[in-house]
Amino acid sequence: MSPPVESKSSTELRQTSEQSNWLSSLARRIPTAKPHHFDEMRQSATELRAPWQSLFAQLGRESIDRLADYANTVNHVIAQNGITYNVFTDRQDQVRPWSLNPLPMVIDSDDWHLIETSLAQRARLLNQIVHDVYHQGDLLAAAYLPSALVLGNPGYLHAMRNVNVPGNNYLYVIAFDVARDEQGRWWVIGQRTQSPSGLGYVLENRLIISRLFPQAYREMRVQHLATSYRRLLAALETQAQSLAQGAPPRFAFLTPGPYSETYFEHAYLARYLGIPLVEGPDLTIRNNEVFLKTVQGLQRIHGLMRRLDDDFCDPLELRADSALGIPGLLQSVRAGKVVMANALGTGFLESPAVQGFLPAICEHLLGEPLLMPSLHTWWCGETAAWKDVSPRLQTQVIKPTFANQTSTNFEPVIGSLLDEDARNQWRARIERQPDIYTTQTYLPFSQVPTFNGHSIEPRTAMMRFYALIGPDNQWHVMPGGMARVAALDPHIVSIRSGGTTLDTWVMSDTEVDSFSMLPGQTNASHWQTDQELVSSRSAENLFWLGRYTERAEAMVRLARETLMLLSTNRVASLTTLNDAMTYLGRTQNLVTFDSPSMSDAPEAFGQMVIARLQQSGCGGLMDVVQAMLNAMRSVRDRLPVDHVEIPAKIKSLLLAEKSQHDMMRVLDQVELPLAALVGYQLDRMTKDIGWRMLAAGRLLERLINQSQIVTHFFESGAVYTEQGFDSLLTLFDSAITYRTRYQRQQEILPLLDLIVLDQTNPRALHATASALAEHIAHLPDSTVICKTLADLNRKPDSTLDMLRLVKDMTRTALELSDEISHQFFAHITEQRFTS
Amino acid sequence: MMTRLSIEHSTHYDYGQDVIFSQHLGYLRANKTPWQSVLDYQLTITPTPDELQVQTDAFGNDRIFFAITHPHRALDVHCASTIQRTIRYADDDLSKTPAWEVVRDSMMYSLDQPFVEASEFVWPSPYIPWLESLKQYALPSFTPGRPIGLASQDLCQRIFNDFKYESGSTEVHTPLEVAFNNRTGVCQDFAHIMIGCLRALGLAAKYVSGYLLTKPPEGQARLRGADATHAWVSVYCPNVSGNWLELDPTNQAIPELDHVCLAQGRDFGDVSPLRGIIRGGGYHRLSIAVTVEPHLPD
Repeated sequence: MSPPVESKSSTELRQTSEQSNWLSSLARRIPTAKPHHFDEMRQSATELRAPWQSLFAQLGRESIDRLADYANTVNHVIAQNGITYNVFTDRQDQVRPWSLNPLPMVIDSDDWHLIETSLAQRARLLNQIVHDVYHQGDLLAAAYLPSALVLGNPGYLHAMRNVNVPGNNYLYVIAFDVARDEQGRWWVIGQRTQSPSGLGYVLENRLIISRLFPQAYREMRVQHLATSYRRLLAALETQAQSLAQGAPPRFAFLTPGPYSETYFEHAYLARYLGIPLVEGPDLTIRNNEVFLKTVQGLQRIHGLMRRLDDDFCDPLELRADSALGIPGLLQSVRAGKVVMANALGTGFLESPAVQGFLPAICEHLLGEPLLMPSLHTWWCGETAAWKDVSPRLQTQVIKPTFANQTSTNFEPVIGSLLDEDARNQWRARIERQPDIYTTQTYLPFSQVPTFNGHSIEPRTAMMRFYALIGPDNQWHVMPGGMARVAALDPHIVSIRSGGTTLDTWVMSDTEVDSFSMLPGQTNASHWQTDQELVSSRSAENLFWLGRYTERAEAMVRLARETLMLLSTNRVASLTTLNDAMTYLGRTQNLVTFDSPSMSDAPEAFGQMVIARLQQSGCGGLMDVVQAMLNAMRSVRDRLPVDHVEIPAKIKSLLLAEKSQHDMMRVLDQVELPLAALVGYQLDRMTKDIGWRMLAAGRLLERLINQSQIVTHFFESGAVYTEQGFDSLLTLFDSAITYRTRYQRQQEILPLLDLIVLDQTNPRALHATASALAEHIAHLPDSTVICKTLADLNRKPDSTLDMLRLVKDMTRTALELSDEISHQFFAHITEQRFTS
Repeated sequence: MMTRLSIEHSTHYDYGQDVIFSQHLGYLRANKTPWQSVLDYQLTITPTPDELQVQTDAFGNDRIFFAITHPHRALDVHCASTIQRTIRYADDDLSKTPAWEVVRDSMMYSLDQPFVEASEFVWPSPYIPWLESLKQYALPSFTPGRPIGLASQDLCQRIFNDFKYESGSTEVHTPLEVAFNNRTGVCQDFAHIMIGCLRALGLAAKYVSGYLLTKPPEGQARLRGADATHAWVSVYCPNVSGNWLELDPTNQAIPELDHVCLAQGRDFGDVSPLRGIIRGGGYHRLSIAVTVEPHLPD
């Protein structure tokens, strides 16, 4: 039953006509697409296409006029969440912020039905091709595919021949790059079948843009994405079920590590899917089964979502020079003991040359025509094809047949941009070794409206969509994706060369599926079981993150107290305190080991402290903060996205100031982000083994530092001076507590009681040791360590005995750190042999 | 004509520290062909592996995988086998083989042409890239219309003449181009260079790993363990026995009764006799001993 049609009031009618005037004036204001490019936005000079008509109407004049603000918000969120794309993969520091335009690309439901059906058909076809190629080989035998593109393709793995994979599912995720021609018809430009990237960025794009324009997002009935990810996980679970023999199967997300181009999204996706992020050395193969090295011992893994390229996956059998893979993984794959998403050996389908053969293969294998065409493709290794296309090279784009083979890779060349001489050189080059060249018809892609910082202008775009397999073995295309937009050159669409991305909205003609997988809305038990697995590497990084965070705090406190003392004019008279502070400054790398003492050259000492607070490579605060950052990057899947930005913030705060006075102020400021970090670590992390490791690292570091402070203040006699007494309390962050209890009296026994024995003062050494013991008690096989710690909590019978105890604490804590590393973290190096 | 050979092949690693976990992959068992049969084969691994699997690889070779999951200070892999070889090419006349261009064209893709399985070995492989310089080097042997058998044999002879065999001159991972430019190498380089030449012309060639019976100097006894594993080439050559012609560029010979084939692949990387990844171990020392001798009946 449809609701009764309400008649529109005159106000509404006036608003409607105002709006349509505004929309057509907007259409006139925005430049048209370049000649030969389809204009996604309009159908005539003044008329918008329906999707943009409704997008702009929903956004309204106010939002359109404020796009610059929205763009700023987007950039702010990206910076805050640390969304990056490593452009130069060999340099960890050269990460580029992700680029996202505030305007979405919009696809109406008619276009979407076509895309969805066509890409699902292709996905089904590609999976069958992989199966044929590794088994019966009909496609080769009947010349549907050339031997060079399969057996001679670096993406083909001989090691996978005749290997059965669970459910005959080789592909779980396929990325398709598609674009529209001048007439608005869709073409497939390329496909990624090995370990397609982008699913994490798509999600992040969607979260940002849907929150930017919540009303438009809702009113336009944009299809949600979460179900697609859930289906993917369910598909993996279905295939891995029999391997897990009744128990819930366990998965891990295999990344090449923080140096990878798209590491951000590996961490992001792993967290979103609720599976541990692991690197090759975290896994080991025993009896053909895959195990994760965890703090709790070896844990079986039944499936890997992998982002590691084939060649690097098994250094025993494939590239021996790779340190990223898992020796013996192929044995496990051949034995059918692990589900790989995607299977090894699927990369051969990424060759553009394969596109030319798909129509006939589709007819042969599926008995139906290929629904969405590929760009017209000529593989130069086929003599007839090369003869045919060679005279028309100006209409073509020349591409490497095997882009995944670094030795023969090159950037695509657009024939029309070359002169005839240059084209002849290319002809000669191609004829020398024709197999490695493929040409495809140059297609001017459609242009979509984007915001350029000042106004809306059309830019050339290519769409990336994802086909995902479900638990029912049906392919499904995620309703949404990523539009990648060229920077300035209308020919080149690439994020590397400075382009940007658009969230892609698919308008629904049916009910929107609003399932969400964000934390708080998922099945909690599913998360918890998988989060319990803490790889030894994660544990180690968390342990050190705890130590470095505490160390940074201690250094900040010590530096500030040093600068404070130097700023008083009494500093020359504080000999014993100067000695203690000089000593601590040297051991904590505030100054060099051969620095002048605070008494001899207070000014030089202060300058050195300030200089080294801003200097990298000297083991000072900057390096500790960098070490924090490195540890955080490696456990990125366990920390909130914006936390990874904190160390960079601290560094820039430190680098901004030069004078002694200002540096004290800066040190105050630095305490805030550090405190935020610590606060999160204390309160908001899941209290699993990983968290225990972090807390243990933190307390252990505290025990080492603070016990040394006590020792030096007593040995130098500084504690017996008025200022020294106060400084010691400050370094223990306990001045307020002391004053509350004892007012201004300075007496040694109450002081020692407060900073050593007091169980209620979290900085007191006994309280630190007890808390440490409590965390360690949760770690497996930790009885011996706990016993050692318990011994530290004895009650001393004299001041002298107390100082002995404090020294014991330093020594024990240092030994404990080694013991923990030895027991829980793997430090054994691998070696490779070939004879 | 036939011959029986006794082969002992031992690979020994000594480690400076405990190896706590090791995984190995080996191609150490000769396969059966119409010209070669394995009369006896014994593989002894010390310490006894905790995991051991024997499988057939993509090229039909026996692949051995083993893992040792307890600490060890040494590894010894010992193979003892008795192999019978018969003459393969006795009735073949290389001048009756097809013109090399015909063989090449048969493996080039066109819609109306049947698939030739041998084409798998035409394409570049990890250790053997496509190089124009190899093609130019090979061309003088491959004059127009020349039967592929004769042309290949000529290439084999030229490599034997032009290149210097120098033990230890290259390592396992030395790029082919280096050995080619220096005109120096070991049997692995000779084989790779010859395969690279053939493939650059569009012909199919396999890498063969195996053993060779050597003759002790006149009047001297055979030195036990002094031999080494060997490598040579097999070129796709219709009209000879089995359609593949084996050629040994290191010795300028057609392998017959003195050569024992262990495994065949695209290049050394597919069939290296033994490789491994160990955890721990520190300093290590490797020794390999091979003895090939005529088999004496018991």
